[in-house]
Amino acid sequence: MSARVVEAGQRHIREINDELQKAAAEGQEVVVTNTLSRHNLGIGLPKGAHVRFEGSVGYYCAGLNDGAVIEVERNAGWGLAEGMASGHVTVGGYAGMSAGAAMTGGTIHVKGDSGPRCGVAMKGGNIIVEGKIGYQSGFMAHSGKIIALGGAGHSCADALWEGEVWVAGEVESLGVDVNVVEPTAEEVAEVDSILEPLGLVDSSRNWRKMISGQRLWYFESRDANAWLMI
Amino acid sequence: MADDLNDTYTYPFDMPSEEAVKFSDGAIAGKPAGVPSSYAEGGSTRWTPEAISEVHALAQLGRYQVRGYNTFNKRMPTFDDLTFVPATMTRLPLEGYRESCDTTTVLGGGRGLVEKPVELKIPIYIASMSFGALSANAKASLGYGASKVGTMTCTGEGGMLEEEREASQTLLYQMSPARYRIDLDHIRRADALEIVVGQGAKPGTGGLLLGMKVSERISEMRTLPVGVDQRSTIRHPDFLGADDLAVKVEELRIATNYQVPIFLKMGATRPRYDVAIAAKAGVDVVVVDGAEGGTGASPELLLNHTGIPTMSSIRAAREALDECGMTGKVSLVAAGGIRSGVDAAKCLALGADAVMIGNGAMIALGCNSPRYYEDFARLGTAPGACHHCHTGLCPVGIATQDPELEARMDPHAGAERIARYLTAMTMEITALAKACGKSSVHNLEVEDLRAMSFEASAFTGVKMAGIDRAFDW
Repeated sequence: MSARVVEAGQRHIREINDELQKAAAEGQEVVVTNTLSRHNLGIGLPKGAHVRFEGSVGYYCAGLNDGAVIEVERNAGWGLAEGMASGHVTVGGYAGMSAGAAMTGGTIHVKGDSGPRCGVAMKGGNIIVEGKIGYQSGFMAHSGKIIALGGAGHSCADALWEGEVWVAGEVESLGVDVNVVEPTAEEVAEVDSILEPLGLVDSSRNWRKMISGQRLWYFESRDANAWLMI
Repeated sequence: MADDLNDTYTYPFDMPSEEAVKFSDGAIAGKPAGVPSSYAEGGSTRWTPEAISEVHALAQLGRYQVRGYNTFNKRMPTFDDLTFVPATMTRLPLEGYRESCDTTTVLGGGRGLVEKPVELKIPIYIASMSFGALSANAKASLGYGASKVGTMTCTGEGGMLEEEREASQTLLYQMSPARYRIDLDHIRRADALEIVVGQGAKPGTGGLLLGMKVSERISEMRTLPVGVDQRSTIRHPDFLGADDLAVKVEELRIATNYQVPIFLKMGATRPRYDVAIAAKAGVDVVVVDGAEGGTGASPELLLNHTGIPTMSSIRAAREALDECGMTGKVSLVAAGGIRSGVDAAKCLALGADAVMIGNGAMIALGCNSPRYYEDFARLGTAPGACHHCHTGLCPVGIATQDPELEARMDPHAGAERIARYLTAMTMEITALAKACGKSSVHNLEVEDLRAMSFEASAFTGVKMAGIDRAFDW
């Protein structure tokens, strides 16, 4: 069955998304043409949906994704796949600020660079960036992995919870409360198993794994009685 | 010497004795009469005993203090500075004991963009208090109590608690900047969404939940390590300014298939501008939370010294909506320190479409009720004065995650108290509305109020009692 073509153009965003939902319900693959970098393309698509956006997309493409497989041919704007629960999102070019913000699961694969705060507040899932991740990537990531193959900008892995930032290449500077640790062979194997389906395994990489230093996790008083002085 | 005034004149009588000069006929020996009480008590208005002990506390702790509850700033105005002026000769009252007064409140239908605006039977709903700040029992009680009287509760920032979803017929689902466990499934199970950009208790600062309350279940719901001091973000992860927010609002409309309204909650700081910008960004309801608003935990300085009073924020917010032609299109909810139907009625008269109650609802559940004295004493406080929500050691089982303490709050009795409190508040509102001649609580207006202090008049533009003119700058 060949893919259904949906033209974005200047049509109302609701109409475009309705057609994507309808195609998903019918198990039909979709190619969206003339995307014009529109915002809010492919919001909340379910498992079984398969959508390919020709050209570039604007903010929140694949936002709140619920299992869909989504490809963006060129670049994506802010908040790519924000709040995604599951699914697979691929960007052929660059991703803007806050790719994967607050996502809880699924996979984002960016073939170019990603902008600042990649994986901000993420609660699960994996983000793989073949290029460089922008400044403050991983800010307060609760869980999940950000894997950058081409370096990282300033303030990398800032104020993490239990999320991990893996970088091959140069890290311009570390954020607050970061521990850079030597990954074990098992941990590297786990990352390779994420990269393997994407054809990105390279055993010569010199990984830097960044986790929380846990100093920001607590005030100095962890005891209820210390807070009774008032 | 220029300042020696004693060598130019001599009395035409003998110098009196020192004893006579010092009232020796009755004054306490050794303590000259007329020495002011400040000699013993001090009298610095700046270095009060409270200010001194605060410095001692800071000097010992090396950090600011954290606590729950609400502002202790003594300069906050109160709604008691306003009084209603019921119908007399210029207006006709309704029969307060007999005639009806409509309390139906619709929020978020004004733009005509969503299929299911929030329809409440009363103009009051339960404020956003998270599961985490409150126990699961308390959240369920709020839900059942609110459902009984046809109104709404709000999840707060901790994600959707199944007990609350089950209990609440109408549930407002909050998207705080931290986005704890926000996903499409929960969004689609909500009756309305709320984007939080701030709260009245600590505008400009994110949520705070000390480790004592980050239980296994809380940690799972918020994807946090058990027992950490959760200090949340205040900036949203995926939008910064108002133009981005407009795109975000559109995203949420698509995600909810244009079914439910989108609220935006802000702390009251510059409502004249903030509310106009929120309306421009496309939300359906703006919630303005005044500085009297409560919280489960906050740096104390933010509670006491940030934000503007609720009464002042309502007028500013309403004027902002009027000026940009958004009155009727965007609903306005007021919150912060509302204790009774009387306070709520004043908020409606000042321009709110509905009010939200947090601390009041907790108190109805049993917060600060005169029980478990020994446990209050262990916290260094007493029923009526407790503000220790932050410790998780709530003696009455409301602001806690300790199963033993939680069991002290009977969720069914709690629900019934909430229902009765909301019913009583609604009766208070309709009593005032009918006295003012209004057949709907939403017809209450600024003209129904008079101010009893310059301050209240200046904050609100309400006319001064008697002189019938607003304090005018």
